[in-house]
Amino acid sequence: MTTTACFIIVSRNDIPIYEAEVGSSAKREDAAQLHQFVLHAALDVVQDLAWTTSVMFLKAIDRFNDLVVSVYVTAGHTRFMLLHDSRNDDGIKSFFQEVHELYIKILLNPLYLPGSRITSSHFDTKVRAIARKYL
Amino acid sequence: MGREVSESCIDSLLTEMVSTYCNRFYANKPELAARRIEAIGYQVGHQLSERYTLERPRFSDHLEAIKFICKDFWSVLFKKQIDNLKTNHRGTFVLQDNRFRWLTRMSIDLSPKNGASEEASIMADNKGVQSMHLYFPCGIIRGALSNLGIPCAVSADISNLPACSFVVRIKA
Repeated sequence: MTTTACFIIVSRNDIPIYEAEVGSSAKREDAAQLHQFVLHAALDVVQDLAWTTSVMFLKAIDRFNDLVVSVYVTAGHTRFMLLHDSRNDDGIKSFFQEVHELYIKILLNPLYLPGSRITSSHFDTKVRAIARKYL
Repeated sequence: MGREVSESCIDSLLTEMVSTYCNRFYANKPELAARRIEAIGYQVGHQLSERYTLERPRFSDHLEAIKFICKDFWSVLFKKQIDNLKTNHRGTFVLQDNRFRWLTRMSIDLSPKNGASEEASIMADNKGVQSMHLYFPCGIIRGALSNLGIPCAVSADISNLPACSFVVRIKA
């Protein structure tokens, strides 16, 4: 079963610091741009919604055709956004929680400037492995 | 993410850090040394606040975030909570710790051998050195609050050791 999924991390200054296509279907150039566009458009919705609730995991907040955007907001207002076509809420929540732990490990690196792009290939490998496990 | 840290190592590291910055790196420029130490505290506070808010829901307003600093954050860092929290409801908070852990090993050297003026200058000297040690915890508080979305300025007041008050002024 092939799934499309695009995952981005947006910092508190609205700068994307990490992007990855984590679905199991083959990568298509035009689809990748469309995914990023939809995710960035959903940022406004997240902004409004984040202040109304104190939970971290906001479920499906926006849809486009049959793709759904789910968002997880951390205490430091860093947003993890996932564009996907499946309906597996629990799997997505576990995915976000594991990526949150990975993100904290990146933050604990004293040489990492908070708000800058995450360039670690180790992080990239781990995120894709978690995506394969939960999505 | 739960391992143990030697407390004497932390104390030695902090003492040495302040001493190095004040006496070696910025020997005659205490303001620069203070700013560097505070910046180190800022980054540490930023990282620690992200780490310790992992499990809990997000904060709905400033008071919730300050209470988090007073209770959970302080107990993880210093194994006790803030003893007294005061606010003027207009953006200023005073966090009072009656026995600040990092200052408990610091002596208040009052040698009444010489004249009164000497004693006053020794007291002033001590206060100067002790205030250098407070820039790091002030930086930690500022970094933690900035990460939670509250830009602020933090200063410390040690009029009566070992109690220590941190004054947090939220930038409007």
